[in-house]
Amino acid sequence: MKKKLFTLAAAAGLLLTACGTDTSAGTPASSGGSSAGGTTTETGEYQLNTLNIIVDGTLTATVDAGQAEFVKQWEEAVSARIGHPIKLNITQLDHSDYSGTVSRTLTTGKPGDAGYPDALIMSASMLRQYQTTGLLWNLANAYDNAEFQKRVTLPQVNLNLRTADGAQYGFAPTYGNGCVTYIKKGWLDAVGKTVDDIKTFDDYYAVLKAFKENDPDGDGANKTYGVIAAGFAKLDEAPYINYMPEFWQGAYPSFYPGKDGKWVDGFTEQATIDALARLNKAYKDGIIDPDTEEAGTKQAREKFFSNDQSTSEGVFTYWAGTWLRTLTDNMQKNEVKNKDGELESLVQLPPIKEIKDTVGGYINREAPVWVITDDGDGNDAREQAIFDALFDTMLDGDVVQTLWTYGAKGVHWSTDAEEFTLNAGTDKEDKKSYAAGEFHLRPNPNDPNSLWKKNHLDSVLVIAPLTNGFVDNDPLIQEGNEFFTKNCVDAYPAASSPTFSEREADLSEAKKGLMNKAVVGEITPEDAVKQYIDQFGSVSETILSELNAN
Amino acid sequence: MSTNKASNGTQETTWVAPKKTLWDRMKPYTGFYLMFLPVFIFVLIVYYWPMLGVRYAFYSYKLRDIHWVGLANFAKLFSEKEFWMAFQNTLILSIVKLLLNTFVAVLISIFLNEMVNLFCKKFVQTVIYLPHFMSWAVVAAIFTLFLSTSSTGFVNETLKSWGWIEQSIDFLHTKALWRPIFYMIDLWKETGWGTVIFFATLSGIDPGLYEAAEIDGATRLQKIWYVTVPALSNTVIIVLILNLAKVLNIFEPVFVLYNTRVLEVSDVISTYIYRKTFLTAIPDYGYTTAVGLFKSLVGMVLMLASDYASKRIRGRGIM
Repeated sequence: MKKKLFTLAAAAGLLLTACGTDTSAGTPASSGGSSAGGTTTETGEYQLNTLNIIVDGTLTATVDAGQAEFVKQWEEAVSARIGHPIKLNITQLDHSDYSGTVSRTLTTGKPGDAGYPDALIMSASMLRQYQTTGLLWNLANAYDNAEFQKRVTLPQVNLNLRTADGAQYGFAPTYGNGCVTYIKKGWLDAVGKTVDDIKTFDDYYAVLKAFKENDPDGDGANKTYGVIAAGFAKLDEAPYINYMPEFWQGAYPSFYPGKDGKWVDGFTEQATIDALARLNKAYKDGIIDPDTEEAGTKQAREKFFSNDQSTSEGVFTYWAGTWLRTLTDNMQKNEVKNKDGELESLVQLPPIKEIKDTVGGYINREAPVWVITDDGDGNDAREQAIFDALFDTMLDGDVVQTLWTYGAKGVHWSTDAEEFTLNAGTDKEDKKSYAAGEFHLRPNPNDPNSLWKKNHLDSVLVIAPLTNGFVDNDPLIQEGNEFFTKNCVDAYPAASSPTFSEREADLSEAKKGLMNKAVVGEITPEDAVKQYIDQFGSVSETILSELNAN
Repeated sequence: MSTNKASNGTQETTWVAPKKTLWDRMKPYTGFYLMFLPVFIFVLIVYYWPMLGVRYAFYSYKLRDIHWVGLANFAKLFSEKEFWMAFQNTLILSIVKLLLNTFVAVLISIFLNEMVNLFCKKFVQTVIYLPHFMSWAVVAAIFTLFLSTSSTGFVNETLKSWGWIEQSIDFLHTKALWRPIFYMIDLWKETGWGTVIFFATLSGIDPGLYEAAEIDGATRLQKIWYVTVPALSNTVIIVLILNLAKVLNIFEPVFVLYNTRVLEVSDVISTYIYRKTFLTAIPDYGYTTAVGLFKSLVGMVLMLASDYASKRIRGRGIM
């Protein structure tokens, strides 16, 4: 026993000794004007030789889908532009835990470390949380002096990112985009309705009910649902309500600036109680698929376009533009057919009266941004070099912007004369033929039976359009983008305060639990809000006082 | 060399070997120590070096802002209602799970032992072992689909078609049902594997004991009660003791099956740490390290208690 006690004491001593060790990791590291990715030339200029970036799933040219060729062509084009060779290292993180992995990377590393990013993608919410930490570079001057400025058609997107003192820590190459409500046309036909019949929430509700009760898939059983979404609301990601806008209407279950510009906590408002009551009624009536409660976006959309429509749904609110094409393609790939045996298609629902032109409607979310990490040495040479190599070329209107928009030449797109056949040997066989010089997208490397759609930038959403005339003329995508642009409203700015950053996860988890309980009828909507105030009232007040003090 | 006074009063000289130094004792086994050295270094680097990170339990550690806060993280921890809820759930879920699994595994082992048909016995063994090799993520996906309240949920739709229920039962989202369902799923997955050790013990029982019992006129049930069960009891106690030390480590089965509506009965320390660390935009690693350290200290107490219990029961410890 004595030996064991001695061992324990020794271990404790070891730990305590460790407690007294250097904590230099606690101070932002300085790389002395150069990181592992750059050198200083004889003339004293900083030269960026390697660029490490972290991206999420929005870079669709993944490792399995031609990323190597994308990188090769980017390196060639950018090396020629900046006058010296540069190497691009891409770390593509899992989309679902992106913010968590970024947090850990930025916590444990410093500029110059292998794996530490020079630049990375952040959501608007992440940007608000990180921009006060000193880890990001203020790129306002670089943005103002960028070569692409003369081509920018949507300057407000980036000006909206500026802080009160004029600093800008993120660069948004596109505007945010958002979700619109899609309805299966065959199901509408089956219940004797058209999209023009749906003007109000009551009309919308009646259609959802018909989808539940009137056997829209024609299988003789009433196992279908009106609507599915990835959660009754996505309370951990702004703009929270975009997957079920018709139910949330004017409610916004988080902090937002009210009409007088003063921040309020939307979850405590009557509008939230009303929204929860609407959701509760729909849940009780069986028109919301119960899988909505736990479904992620992948599960929700796969159930929507599943080849088994007997337990599917008629309505799904999802991203506009390219996703209209993707959802349609997937339904057709799964041979989803209407009652007459024709391939199913989608119609877009114009905003109902209750949400039209309000921030409860089709919300144009705050744009995701690119940021540059600051090495904290007080010298901007490294950061400016990253801006020049990555951001300035990203919107060059020509070769590099095409890479970010459509992917690698010869892999994802081409201007060569060529012919290929999609779905060869099936009843959906589609022969494509292109003349020399004609820009066209090529078969998707991951799915040779469908066309490649886009890479990271959406050509329609970009703030400075391509100047080389390369346009993907997919009419369905164009229709989707035009529909969204016509019907969208800008999202509220994401909240940012020290207490909000610290307690956001607790708040969203508690609100999610209360919301789910209210929707399924375990508690009333009034009790949900009351319990939230009882539990987090003081936290909410602290956050509001911090937000309104700014 | 030392001098002692003998019983007859004369001085007696006896030879006592000088105490060997550590090096002298190691020298004959130099080769073995050299072979062990890489393993020792590996263990130090892989197991002990990361442990130095526990010092951050006494720091605030957000992004690269790290500063000493003393016991503040522990003060916060002990004042958090959710932490104590998670602590209580950890003990309840782990201990009930352990007792249930052990009891059912013993029961199944005895039944299998009594099974005469060898093919049948092997078949049943294989069937009950298989779920153990499925990952918890797959098991959770299967049961979530199986128990769903949506029209794809097999159990609810079957019960409805039989007219037993009118409304679907939300098995995995109802507080009163979550724990029983959790135990059931865990039993389904792990009990078969748990029988291995008991079955091995049963195979080692001297057949002579059964023959003697039979000669004494014991019935089949009496043979189980008076021969099989006593033979198993020592193994049962060892299994319980060994697992007791690990009860705080429960994570994966809870993580894949819990949800916000049943957090009050399902959240355990590991899931609490996970949420605070990985679902917070800018987490305080100091706080979550403090939670982890507290968990380790409680685990160590349980380990020492198990060691003590093992010594009392088996005559030797587990450490």
